[in-house]
Amino acid sequence: MAEPETAAIQVQGARKVYKAIGKPPKVAVSDVSLTVEPGTIHGLLGPNGAGKTTTLKMLIGLVRPTQGRFTILGQDSRQPRGRTALGFLPEQPYFPTHLTALQALKFYGALAGVRREGLDGEALSLLEKVGLADAGRVELTKFSRGMLQRLGIAQALLGSPHVVILDEPASGLDPVGQRDIRNLMLQLRADGTTVLLSSHQLSEVEAVCDRVTILDRGTVASEGHIDDLLNIAGQTSVKVRGLERLPERVASLAEEVAFSGSVWVFSIPDDAVRTVVDAIDDAGGVVMAVQPKRESLEDYFTRLLEHHAAGEVA
Amino acid sequence: MMRRVLTIARAVFLDSIRRRILLVVLVFAGIMVAFIPALPDYGLGVQAAVYGEIALAVTFATAAVVVVGLAVTRIPSEIERRTVYSVLARPVPRWEYLCGTWLGTFATAGMLIAAFTVVDQIVALVTYGEPMWLLWLGAVGIWLEMGVIAAFAHSVSTIVSPITAVVASIAFLFIGHSRSTLLGEEGALALRAFYPSLDAFNIVAPVTHGAGVPPIYLLSMVVVFIGFVGLLLALGALLMGSRDL
Repeated sequence: MAEPETAAIQVQGARKVYKAIGKPPKVAVSDVSLTVEPGTIHGLLGPNGAGKTTTLKMLIGLVRPTQGRFTILGQDSRQPRGRTALGFLPEQPYFPTHLTALQALKFYGALAGVRREGLDGEALSLLEKVGLADAGRVELTKFSRGMLQRLGIAQALLGSPHVVILDEPASGLDPVGQRDIRNLMLQLRADGTTVLLSSHQLSEVEAVCDRVTILDRGTVASEGHIDDLLNIAGQTSVKVRGLERLPERVASLAEEVAFSGSVWVFSIPDDAVRTVVDAIDDAGGVVMAVQPKRESLEDYFTRLLEHHAAGEVA
Repeated sequence: MMRRVLTIARAVFLDSIRRRILLVVLVFAGIMVAFIPALPDYGLGVQAAVYGEIALAVTFATAAVVVVGLAVTRIPSEIERRTVYSVLARPVPRWEYLCGTWLGTFATAGMLIAAFTVVDQIVALVTYGEPMWLLWLGAVGIWLEMGVIAAFAHSVSTIVSPITAVVASIAFLFIGHSRSTLLGEEGALALRAFYPSLDAFNIVAPVTHGAGVPPIYLLSMVVVFIGFVGLLLALGALLMGSRDL
């Protein structure tokens, strides 16, 4: 068991340069460092070619780094022994198709070191957890893309790993499946498991992640707590209903006003919250929500990458 | 460690024997064996011995085709389909993965050769009224050689494409059986000790025309097998360990 102060995952100065005879070297990852605290969900974001998958592959020993240090719970994760507490879901997982779902889980369970006597029970329990309870004896050739994805998640959870790396877990899943996976990640966090989530689905990352690291062109473009990154300092978002028009005092302070379906949404300076709430109350309106104004992750992500690109060009 | 290697071997074996091509090859070769006694030049007073020779030759050729076909495609296809990621992300060293894969292919070859030998025996019993038990000795020699070929093909296929690995495996097989041709029976004596010869596994002549080989020869054959396979798999593990997946 790791000491409390040990980071669940630590990547320091990762660099990967692919070299091939007769071709110029290709820098896939230039300099990436990230730390994932135990018991958190950490998002790894970036556009295509940013270096996310290469970083993950270096972390789990599939790709040899040109430089860098990689640890999981304080152990060198490039060595097989350092991956005993790790579960990994690759992007678009494939399995030996002649197996049934139950046989596949037993195969990966044996590789993960799950004890023989407990393997059947754990495999059945995980199939149920990912919504495949009725498909245990079905051959994988008959599985849909979404079912294979669910099975991939189940195999990543075999052996109750302390750290789980999920590469695009919602890929190929319908909205219900995506919600199930979100809930599963939250459940894992509640149980004390650390999750490193690499995803293109920004809404998913925004919904579950405590912290995010955004990669661009092989470097870290931004890193921090999701609230710190998205909350807009000094601005509060207000949602109101029951008014045909905003009171004069509110209208003079409100910015980015939107009205839809009898609901007003606008932002105001933090120090005007009391004034605005009183004014709405006096006018007979109902305040539905008052919360820190928050940028969507999508907007933040787009803006960050534009600035990062501009900075690099400059 | 052994549990992981055996788990991988079992998965490779079960996957291999389900491939339809294996059944097709087995049926086709079985038919060929059944028709050996009908060959035009057949029958010069040593029918049974010639039958055994041809039967073992068919077994060897068919096993070589199947083993090379299975071995050169297994690892590249697992890398391409990314099934290998879920295996190697576990605490599984690459050499264990390679050894498990080889063991699965070796077991498949064993099953195939055993099935062939049973067919050979049935045809021999029906045609000559004798079960020709010595064919099993020849089959063991073929099986061990297929283990060496599989180790070479798997190891090479970790870094080159399946087509290149097929060519390399055929070249290995050819060179392995060409010591006398390339070095001469008496010439280049100093080199003979270092020549990677597969002739040690060829016991067709004593099996079909003589009384087989003594146990000490069988034992020495196993030692050569272990030496070859160990060396080739160690090389394969080095090659696989040095590549990105």
